[in-house]
Amino acid sequence: MRHVPDGVLRRLLDEPLAVPDGARRHMEACGRCRSSSAVVADDAATVSRLLSAPQPDLDAGRAWAQMQRRLADPVLAQHPPIRISRRPGWRVLNASVSTGAVVTAGLALTGVAAAATLTTVFAPTHVKTVPVNTGDLRAVVSLLGAGVAPARGGLLPATGSQQLPFGTLRWTSAGHGRQVSSIAEASALTHLAFAAPATLPTGVGQISAIYAQPMVTATVLISRNASPSVSGTSLAVTGGPAMLVRYGGQAGGTSLTTLGILTMRRPVATSTGATTAQLENFVLSRPGIPADLVRQIKLLGNLTSVLPVPVPQGAASEQVRIGAWPGVLITADSGAASAVIWESQDGLVHVVAGLLDSKDILNVARQLG
Amino acid sequence: MEASFVTSPTSMTPDTSFSAFERFFREHYPAVVRIACGVVGDPQAAQDVAQDVFIAALRRFPEPDASQHASAWVRVAAAHAGLNAIRGERRRGHRQQQCGIEVASAGPEEAMLDQESRAEVRQALRRLPRRSAVVLVLRHSGLSYAEVAEAMNVNVGHVGTMLRRAESALRKELNDATRP
Repeated sequence: MRHVPDGVLRRLLDEPLAVPDGARRHMEACGRCRSSSAVVADDAATVSRLLSAPQPDLDAGRAWAQMQRRLADPVLAQHPPIRISRRPGWRVLNASVSTGAVVTAGLALTGVAAAATLTTVFAPTHVKTVPVNTGDLRAVVSLLGAGVAPARGGLLPATGSQQLPFGTLRWTSAGHGRQVSSIAEASALTHLAFAAPATLPTGVGQISAIYAQPMVTATVLISRNASPSVSGTSLAVTGGPAMLVRYGGQAGGTSLTTLGILTMRRPVATSTGATTAQLENFVLSRPGIPADLVRQIKLLGNLTSVLPVPVPQGAASEQVRIGAWPGVLITADSGAASAVIWESQDGLVHVVAGLLDSKDILNVARQLG
Repeated sequence: MEASFVTSPTSMTPDTSFSAFERFFREHYPAVVRIACGVVGDPQAAQDVAQDVFIAALRRFPEPDASQHASAWVRVAAAHAGLNAIRGERRRGHRQQQCGIEVASAGPEEAMLDQESRAEVRQALRRLPRRSAVVLVLRHSGLSYAEVAEAMNVNVGHVGTMLRRAESALRKELNDATRP
């Protein structure tokens, strides 16, 4: 095998699970690559130290008020020009502001070039709820054809493929999701931090299990005979890594999960051709998708930045804030179970769910936020 | 080639956009300040840069939820605006002394950098090719590779290569600058 390129060695330091297994295996066996890796690591650590800067205690509310005061004053509202070196993508973006039609035509004429350009079509920054019922869930399953068959133990195999009604799905991950023995081990595998809440409601119990899931990359290649707006598009979705910490105790001689805390890197999707709107229209126009579900999804607005959270029938949802971040609280009809989901600024999605009422679950979530 | 976005007071966005933009502002303000701080090295100056970035963004993306690019734009604009701010600037030490903002206590690594060496780093950063400086600042402010790729409109597979070259170039710049 060829030696591991410097760029891959560099990413191995920060996001090892994103690097193919083959590169890691090669490095373990190759003295030259290990030596290069040491140089890369030394440079990275030095630059990280050099670029470290004091972080201010920010008050976004005060900053917003200050900005409004500036905007109200024509003199203060002036700001230095922000000069951005142009890249093809930004050039398209800049031009589209004033000459959208021309750009659109240009893209159509240069379809081959456009198809080779990766566009981020999904990088959610906040969560929003979508009411769903069992019919909606059935429709989503049927959209995927026969569904993705789980491997033994209910987990997906690390790699695999599945024929879909409109293309092919392939997925790969750096390994199986698995139970680990400690938070430290989970953090080492996922590069995610976990700070256990200092106080827990009575009856929650102790940590009973910890799971780590490496990042999964799924690619959907939409077939050439699909809708012209999306045909031939390759959609790559990365999800995770993720860490799940489960709390519980014993009830009637059997173990009972009382609380789960999931932390995961937000999913991100890139497309080689179709835009978010084109993909959305394509999926929502598939046969069998209920009209009400379509309406609810349309209400979410720009799907690029929204992580939809399904709310089952009978559950109530409301907007909450966890620290500085907007989130959603979902409470079961009985009030005996609830969940909070939010995304923090660092691109991490947090889910806190358990057999707790809304007050207790929010109390736990706010210790994490 | 560069594009400039100069303020025009007459192009003020209607008040009706403010609620959506305020949400966008609150969501992205910390990241933008963090990125700017990585360049200018001064929390107060970073917040000034962030204000400029968001005023420019308000005019560019009055309805940020409707744009797929607004969040990436403010991040990359923060890096560029910070780099513009340090161009030729030699008043940082004075400004830091006057900075009245609360600053989180410095960590051990940070304490190793005195103000003089910070100024050298900023100058070296300024001398790098702009894209190299931007990738350094974005990554070392905590953005993931996917987020850096989105902000810079490059393939995520290229980020490691760009970052590696930029880190090597920054060290070389600093070594050259300190060589007698």
